[in-house]
Amino acid sequence: MRHLITATVNGRERELSVKSSQTLLDVLRDDLRLKGTHEGCSVGVCGSCTVLVDGKPVSSCLMLASNAEGRDVLTIESLARDGNLDPVQQAFLDRQAFQCGFCTPGMIMAVKGLLNENPKPDEAEVRDYLSGNICRCGTYVEVMAAIEDLTAKPQ
Amino acid sequence: MRNFDLLEPKTVTEACRMLDDGEDVRPVSGGTALLILVKQGLLRPRTLVNLKKLEGANAITRDEAGAVRIEAMATIHQVETSPVVREHLPVLAAACHQVANIRIRHLATIGGNLAHGDHQSDPPGVLVALDAEVELSGTRGTRAMKLADFLLGTYETALEPGEMVTAVTVPPVRGRLVSDYLKFTTGSSEERPCAGITALVRLEGDRPVEARLAVGAVAARPLLLCETDPTEGALPRMAERASEEIDPIPDLRGSAEYKRHLVRVLGRRALAAAWKEACP
Ligand SMILES: Cc1cc2nc3c(=O)[nH]c(=O)nc-3n(C[C@H](O)[C@H](O)[C@H](O)COP(=O)(O)OP(=O)(O)OC[C@H]3O[C@@H](n4cnc5c(N)ncnc54)[C@H](O)[C@@H]3O)c2cc1C
Ligand code: FES
Ligand code: FES
Repeated sequence: MRHLITATVNGRERELSVKSSQTLLDVLRDDLRLKGTHEGCSVGVCGSCTVLVDGKPVSSCLMLASNAEGRDVLTIESLARDGNLDPVQQAFLDRQAFQCGFCTPGMIMAVKGLLNENPKPDEAEVRDYLSGNICRCGTYVEVMAAIEDLTAKPQ
Repeated sequence: MRNFDLLEPKTVTEACRMLDDGEDVRPVSGGTALLILVKQGLLRPRTLVNLKKLEGANAITRDEAGAVRIEAMATIHQVETSPVVREHLPVLAAACHQVANIRIRHLATIGGNLAHGDHQSDPPGVLVALDAEVELSGTRGTRAMKLADFLLGTYETALEPGEMVTAVTVPPVRGRLVSDYLKFTTGSSEERPCAGITALVRLEGDRPVEARLAVGAVAARPLLLCETDPTEGALPRMAERASEEIDPIPDLRGSAEYKRHLVRVLGRRALAAAWKEACP
């Protein structure tokens, strides 16, 4: 069965025909060719598939695509504008907050979600919020440093 | 993922009619439990009924008498951040904040959590301690029952075919509740609970009139112990009793003996914390 939905993806309104059993992740990667959102565990644990839906982080591997109807979806591809990196991307780069980069799109989108909700989180709040984003290369210390750079700056 | 058809009702009546159509039809809410089972091949539904698009199905309200009503489709994150829940049932907000991770809390619903019947969950124990009831709707109408009677065992509930959970309600609290929730995990911090302990002390005026200890995630169903006119000295005995009465399910998170020990230690700590705040 297919469903005709309208959703905004990275600022652009799209009419999408999605299969009943497709997840948002399937549609982003396979239909829209947005390969920046990664599939790690496929069961909600790792966070590499994190995207923002109406500004809030979700595991796109567990969200039915049909439920994106009428929602605003942002993936990592939405961040850089006209060749300029988003401040979160820049902070990750400055702090070398990645090694292989597999977890990075999810990690950055989770940080975007956090800063949307709470522009000045303290360290405990950051750790709590990001506790479900797993990095197999163990870049957590650098990620924390990148976020500290972002939250220390006057906004 | 394996194929299935997704039906998308707008009203509860329509949803119940769709659900009342044989064995391999199931409701799906957040999908955070169900889609994993489908991906792993443990469930092969032909049809899923999407409850996410039901209108007005996620409100959280408090009536004049003080009863709190949470519609089934409220996400765990909505429960955790609801001003009503934070003010009147802070222990439920605290427990919901400790469910999974932020991405799952934005998808998972309270109705799906209770209907799933997984004993390794945080909300059921807390809600049993609060005397919560579930509202069930089906093609034959609506009924309410105590959550404690609804949860029959691991992955087993009192839901009849064609029925769905439409709300969970917490009755008005007489006097004032002081509460504590302790979650213990043996893996990472956002793991499913190895034990989830709720301690409540109810005060009328300044007098503690009741103490409660609920143990979630350890056995197939939450265990609830209540003591009227409690004294501080009686609290460790309550935790002791809980560890004797509980029938722990041994698994990767610990042996039965280990879990019994946890119940004794955490039960004592949670009760002591609630007592200290209730009777400083
Ligand atoms: C990575 C991860 C970590 C987790 N950690 C925790 C944790 O720490 N603590 C914890 O408590 N839980 C944890 N969970 C479980 C999570 O809370 C549940 O998966 C979630 O609450 C289920 O809700 P849902 O809306 O996603 O249900 P769904 O997956 O949509 O449905 C679950 C089941 O209930 C049925 N169902 C759904 N809605 C209804 C309804 N309204 N009426 C009748 N039947 C219905 C479905 O048919 C299905 O059988 C975790 C899950 C994941 C993926
Ligand atoms: S791929 Fe979705 S959380 Fe791991
Ligand atoms: S940078 Fe390799 S998994 Fe995080």
